[in-house]
Amino acid sequence: MASQDAKGIADALLNLDMDATVNQVKSVIHGGSDISLEDAVRALTTALETIGKRFQDGEWFIGELVYAGEIAKAAMDLLTPRLAAGATRRLGTIVVGTVAGDLHDLGKNIFISYATAAGFDIVDLGVDVPVQKFIDAARKRQPLAVGMSCLLTVTAGQVGEVIAALKHAGLRDSVKVIIGGAAMTQGFAEEVGADAFAPDAVTGTETLKGWSA
Amino acid sequence: MNFRDRFLTAMEHAEPDRVPVMGLILDTATVNQVLGKKPTDLVGMLQKPILRSVLRALMNNHWYATRAQYRNAAAIMETAIKLGFDANWSLYWTMQLNPDPAASMGMAFHDAWGRVWEIGSDGKGNMVTNYTRSLCETETQWEAWVEQKRPVYDQLIADATTFHKRLTQAYNDRILSIGYAAPGVFENCWQPMGFVNFTKLVYQQRDFVKRMIAFHTDFYLRYLEGVLQSDVDIVLGGDDLGQKTGPLMRPDLIDTLYGESYRRIAELVHRYKKKLLWHSCGNIYLFLDKFIEWGFDGIITLEPTAGMDLAKVREQVGHKLVLVGNLDVSYLLVRGTREEIEEAVKQAIRAAATGGGYILSPSHSHALVDATRLQWMIEAAHRWGRYPISI
Repeated sequence: MASQDAKGIADALLNLDMDATVNQVKSVIHGGSDISLEDAVRALTTALETIGKRFQDGEWFIGELVYAGEIAKAAMDLLTPRLAAGATRRLGTIVVGTVAGDLHDLGKNIFISYATAAGFDIVDLGVDVPVQKFIDAARKRQPLAVGMSCLLTVTAGQVGEVIAALKHAGLRDSVKVIIGGAAMTQGFAEEVGADAFAPDAVTGTETLKGWSA
Repeated sequence: MNFRDRFLTAMEHAEPDRVPVMGLILDTATVNQVLGKKPTDLVGMLQKPILRSVLRALMNNHWYATRAQYRNAAAIMETAIKLGFDANWSLYWTMQLNPDPAASMGMAFHDAWGRVWEIGSDGKGNMVTNYTRSLCETETQWEAWVEQKRPVYDQLIADATTFHKRLTQAYNDRILSIGYAAPGVFENCWQPMGFVNFTKLVYQQRDFVKRMIAFHTDFYLRYLEGVLQSDVDIVLGGDDLGQKTGPLMRPDLIDTLYGESYRRIAELVHRYKKKLLWHSCGNIYLFLDKFIEWGFDGIITLEPTAGMDLAKVREQVGHKLVLVGNLDVSYLLVRGTREEIEEAVKQAIRAAATGGGYILSPSHSHALVDATRLQWMIEAAHRWGRYPISI
């Protein structure tokens, strides 16, 4: 029965059914189910991993990925306040922003939606973020990683400047750097000394999970 | 063969004298470089209170704004002619410069559909604007917004009609002016609501989304009909359906929601005996067959940085869709050497030009696209694009 209830939560998320997911989580919270809060979290996490795989296999697309993230977030917003401290492991803090001169935020926001649902705490610096703001946030929040989004070729140089400033501030060895966006490539990541290039939100989140482990 | 015959022959999947070359919405930096103009520091001016007030009054003045748009478009056409393009697209747009506390400059452009365009600099002293945010979040907000803007939409259609008539009359003997009807129906639905919010609406309020689609389809068809009343031979529609690795939304869902709109757009263009090129950024392999189903005549962009391989696209749909673009603007037309550009042009022609149906073009435009490299691209196209293709 317990495993059926967990499967029900996972299936509801995989069916992109917001009401069913939320109602089943509420049932767990109010004692209407045999599974624990932690089991519910695990069911959501497992479903999200399946969704990420479907996206990477080309079966699902950004729209579904984003909406699944929103459903998982709604469910986690119900569960998190009720979980005992430390009952579910947060995966780490990520400082994210679109580099200076670039005002695009779609890719960044999709990443935030998915990575938050996957268990990361995101510090969103917004768009057109000056180099120093990345450095200040890295120093203050001591994140697992700094993520930079860059859509425009014209502003790609900013990525290298942030990495150089992290080195100059003595922070580079303690923080990973991940980059994404239309103007970014694996070659560019290697050129500027980023630790990883993420062509999409799922790959980026998987890379971060690897660093978090 | 003149530029028009060359372009239209290629659009018929037949071989003209040589591969046509098409320019996009050339950025101000490119125009300045070619025409020898100095940049106007509008961003700097907007940071000074008195100048800001003056500029805001001017930019929001209908008489001034329509003339400024025409002057800019004319400068783009002059640039394209000087560079040697056979065709260039032209766009009429309307936005208001408004105070906006959430914008980095404290003000931003708000367009007629509910998008925020933040102001920035292109690094060469020119102002650029980028879509950043939405002005509506809910059904009620959107309903109120479009109701309030109804007179603006009517004016926009009238102005766009006049704009394209004037532009084609002035330039049709020197270059093929391709009328751009934008933004597209999909973009007009999601961008004024935000993408994350829009995905929720698609799954939770499908009837509302259908109502938005119906509204924007009706507007788009009216706007397009205005463009078609000018002397344009080709119109360019657009909706960015792809992102770097694939579709933004699943193709069958896009077909369900938007397919009928796209079919009606193509039918309208064909009723006027004209051709429809469709612009979409990103990786759009999964839409190629849909584009044929919807009735598009050609597609433009074919971004190599999103994995679009010209030879592969040609093999998949080249017999039905005219292919335009694919020259890289991330490196090649920004910093590439003359030899690299020549090789890329040869490769594109080799991949897609035999038998007609290919128009060489940059995959996109931005401020760092270098006019000298555009010139090299065109020269290489002239050198290697003569029919019969023998490279």
